[in-house]
Amino acid sequence: MTLLDKQPSTVEAAPAPVGAGPRPARRRGGGSLSLRVGLALLGLYLLAAAASAVWTPYDPREVGAGEPYSPPDGSHWFGTDRLGTDVFSQVLAATRLDLGITVAAVALALTVGAFLGTVAGYYRGVADGVIMRTLEVLQAFPTLLLAMLIVQAVGPGTWNVIAVLAFVGLPEYLRLARAEILSKRGWQFAEAARLAGCRPWRVAFGHLLPNSTGPLLAYTSINAAWVVLVTSSLGFLGVGIRPGEPEWGSMISRGQSGITSGEWWISLFPGLAVLGLAAAFYLLGDGLNDAADPRRRR
Amino acid sequence: MRVARTVLVRVAWVVPVALGVVTVTFFVSRVLSGDPSELFMPSDADQRLRDQIRASMGLDDSLPVQYWTFLVDLAHGDLGTSFTTGQPVTTDLAGRLPATLELGLVGVLIGLAAGIPLGVLAAIRRDRWTDFLIRGVTVGGMALPSFWLGLILILVFSVTLDLLPGPVGRLPIGTPEPDRVTGFLLVDSLLAGEPGLFGQACLHLVLPAVTLGVLILAPVARVTRTAMVEALQSDYVRTAVAMGAGPARVWFRYALRNALLPVVTTSGGVIGFAFSGAVLIEAVFGWPGVGQYALEAISRADYPALQGFVMYAALLYVLVYLAVDLLYLVVDPRTRS
Repeated sequence: MTLLDKQPSTVEAAPAPVGAGPRPARRRGGGSLSLRVGLALLGLYLLAAAASAVWTPYDPREVGAGEPYSPPDGSHWFGTDRLGTDVFSQVLAATRLDLGITVAAVALALTVGAFLGTVAGYYRGVADGVIMRTLEVLQAFPTLLLAMLIVQAVGPGTWNVIAVLAFVGLPEYLRLARAEILSKRGWQFAEAARLAGCRPWRVAFGHLLPNSTGPLLAYTSINAAWVVLVTSSLGFLGVGIRPGEPEWGSMISRGQSGITSGEWWISLFPGLAVLGLAAAFYLLGDGLNDAADPRRRR
Repeated sequence: MRVARTVLVRVAWVVPVALGVVTVTFFVSRVLSGDPSELFMPSDADQRLRDQIRASMGLDDSLPVQYWTFLVDLAHGDLGTSFTTGQPVTTDLAGRLPATLELGLVGVLIGLAAGIPLGVLAAIRRDRWTDFLIRGVTVGGMALPSFWLGLILILVFSVTLDLLPGPVGRLPIGTPEPDRVTGFLLVDSLLAGEPGLFGQACLHLVLPAVTLGVLILAPVARVTRTAMVEALQSDYVRTAVAMGAGPARVWFRYALRNALLPVVTTSGGVIGFAFSGAVLIEAVFGWPGVGQYALEAISRADYPALQGFVMYAALLYVLVYLAVDLLYLVVDPRTRS
């Protein structure tokens, strides 16, 4: 990760294309609207995650915190479920798990994908062939099913879910890193590093990779949105997440029967939570892409 | 000649990828937790009976032998027999495929018919409120968990407004299906001369198809907008405008035609997604398609069924992307070299 943090500003320093014409001044600085809305939303979720670690209105696992199936009111903002557990407290508590899984899976996929992509792009040859052909096979699987299949095989548990989501999300990072390295390996700064006596791995990981972080970092946000959605899908299907764990998808699943029998609040609120977090990441990704690619900057 | 060679190489490449997919599925499904033969064991089965049942399911051979048998059967078009339904997997899949295709086809049509115009509109009205509204809708559409959207639509249109049927599948419970000709209820009900049944099938299709449509609309509109914005900023559009071409001519004849390339790629992706059984949507609406079949197969460690489904889905993706690549050759002369 330290490698990737080194030059965060390279993407912004890219010059505007010649002949692009004058830009309206109102959008300079502060980033695009998507970026700001995305960051604000994400901040809200981080706050909720942090707050829920020390305080929730009720214990999110407490059975009988209120009457079973009581609709939203002043004392239970999001109502209660079948066992009388407070839905608002559960939604808050689940933020930690869903956000935690997302951050961990994305970080893992980014690290491993950047490493393998750099190897494939810089050394090419056999390593590249093997890595790319494997990717092609993996990408022929429907992703959700592949994730389910592996989670079933390795068994339930938060860390297993993280590893599987990282594995399934890895190919895109690998492709991005490989493409960047392939296109830059002949550039002068790489040549200069080689002439200065750097070993190949140092040229690849010390010089090329740090100069290729823009697209990778912009993609992390899009990937994060996807991880949020798949995590909740796995929870909804009852795969991977341990039953009883406060997780948005499994909460939606527990409230599913309530949809037709009138207790709509049990599924509604956790779904909104998923929607908000995924939207935050998509908006952030849009904003980052705009910032990384001056042609798209408005 | 060069085109022919490109096509040939591209088509030939399908074979090793398909073989890879088959192999990965085989070995991953073998390590699935749970022994499928447990389903068939009487609770008081002794060791001999256990061995017999396992042998009859072909589970007593070593893995390499099982793999070889599997490949040989596959070469004969035999996907094996499902452990749960006791029928050949090909029969099971063929029986369920029409439901998935019917839903997928209508969903894709809704998604493309709404997504492409929305994307074009957003690009034309860039940075005005129409654009912001459409972009908001597309981000929302991409961030929606499909299963939850399905539930909310059921809540609003079926439970609260009582306009559409609930999540009971393709027809009201207890209604016999029309004589099977194509398996598509919309077609078969008309062939059987039963307009009432056709109406029922339509009503039951609305909510799942709209759910799928929203899921498809979002990425399509987004890609269309991005490509269209890029096209509208290009030199050829500027030239066309300078030469006095009217807006409609510029938008649709010049810009949109060039912007459609990335849209074709995205459409390929969503078609693959929709036709391989939008697993979650099928689960929420009780839709008896191949996606549900796969879900059940995973939870019951039904290897043959799972392998059959994955083969189908993977092959579908490979073929769809092959079609996209070939379409590119037709649409974009630059890719021919």
